[in-house]
Amino acid sequence: MRKLLAATLGVLSAIGGFVDIGDLVAASQAGARFGMAHAWVLLLGVVGICAYAEMAGRIAAVSGRAVFDLVRERLGPRVALLNLAASYLVTVLTLAAELGGVALALQLASRVSYLLWVPVAAFAVWLVLWRMRFQLMERVFGLAGLTLLVFTVALFWLPTDWAALGHDALHPDTAGQGSGAYWFVAVALFASTVSPYEVFFFSSGGVEENWSAADLADARSSVLIGFPVGGLLALSLIATATVVFHPAGVSLSTLDQVAEPVVLAFGGVGLAVAALAFFAVTFGAALETGLSAAYAAAQYFGWQWGKRVSPREAARFHSVLLVSVLAATLLLSTTVDPVRLTEYMLVASAVVLPLTYLPILVVANDRTYLGDDVNGPWLNLLGAVFLLVIVAASVAAVPLAVGTGMGR
Amino acid sequence: MRVQLGRQLLDRQIVDADGLLLGKVDDVEFAVDEGGLPYVAYLLTGQGALGRRIGGRVGRLLVALADRFTEEASAPLRIPFGQVARIDSAVRLRARADELPRPPVETWLRRHLIDRIPGADRASG
Repeated sequence: MRKLLAATLGVLSAIGGFVDIGDLVAASQAGARFGMAHAWVLLLGVVGICAYAEMAGRIAAVSGRAVFDLVRERLGPRVALLNLAASYLVTVLTLAAELGGVALALQLASRVSYLLWVPVAAFAVWLVLWRMRFQLMERVFGLAGLTLLVFTVALFWLPTDWAALGHDALHPDTAGQGSGAYWFVAVALFASTVSPYEVFFFSSGGVEENWSAADLADARSSVLIGFPVGGLLALSLIATATVVFHPAGVSLSTLDQVAEPVVLAFGGVGLAVAALAFFAVTFGAALETGLSAAYAAAQYFGWQWGKRVSPREAARFHSVLLVSVLAATLLLSTTVDPVRLTEYMLVASAVVLPLTYLPILVVANDRTYLGDDVNGPWLNLLGAVFLLVIVAASVAAVPLAVGTGMGR
Repeated sequence: MRVQLGRQLLDRQIVDADGLLLGKVDDVEFAVDEGGLPYVAYLLTGQGALGRRIGGRVGRLLVALADRFTEEASAPLRIPFGQVARIDSAVRLRARADELPRPPVETWLRRHLIDRIPGADRASG
């Protein structure tokens, strides 16, 4: 239990990457269209994000510097400003989508239109960011997000053909949908599993919790429990959608449909648990993205940031938080579809990925930051190979998006 | 003190004696000693200094933004290099934040926005 509580920062970071509103739909869509053919993407994403989150957490624990500090120090103020602008834009768009997700989950539970819930959700998110203690926030929403495990449990109630699922996962094919669409979905899924705001949030969270070199073991278990759990949740979404929708070739696009496998397995209770789980993960992801946007800006300019000090001592940080939540709310009130919004955002985030991950790898080898805790050769090899994958995804994202009309 | 300007000083976080974050080393100011040798006299921090260092359209935008919040034309915060206690992953000062001038944007936002919201003076931890 103590390990699990220590790991909640990792779990909450992973929720924003693996099972936020975009992924709830995207992962289920992938399962419905391609079966288990994208399982390997999740596995690759988990391994990569674990490697880089471990580095970022170690840097935060030993040197007290979070990721965007490193980005500016290693890329210089100009390129880092470009990264800040792009990351901030992507993160606030994601925040808007998450707020929409919270509202959609409330609509699912209450049958009241999500547009009425948006201001309520935005205010609640801002209030938590303004007042709640960081560690309490991380534990409440990290643990609440685990209700999504209902999808994993549902697999055992549904008529799941495990052998076929396993075979599908090991022999991926494009299920007659064309390789362009297959690879577009792969890149989008990959980009979401390694979203930059996960490492911004994770490393800044470490600093918020005053990690020191003595906490390295906790930081590591947080990574090694949190992100694989996130991966398992996303894999469960793909698997249930594969079992329920893939054979009939049904395509899905709404949150109600995502909940369908759980409803089939557990009836009305299933729907209630699914709505609660959607609420928990989207709310958690909204907190994560809101904070990440403000962390990135504050760390670029060197402002005082964080929840350890009172808001008046971090006035610029809290102003950015407030403005970000307001901007996201305004964007949603244009009645733009939150789920479509994340699709575009994922492409944009894929393009800027290397600008975040390269500085982490460089600083993780810098003894002025880490002393003897620099990367070993195996982690460097893994980090370098993964960086190549990130660059490939970054280069392929736009051509694939344009060429396939966003994967249609 | 022997420091590589570009690698170890510029763009590092400046931290006061209590661990509060003051800003980045956005630029440095040189002076010349009696022997005619240049040395780093001040660390400059603030969007104005950063904007002038970046230059171009983006730099001018940053300077203009900084100007909006100050009475005098965007004078950056100047910290005498003698205040620097040590340099590791951050530039650590001997002084405390309240002994140094306050960043104008922080002061403006605190007065006009954050202090007006209930609970602004309590840390949530």
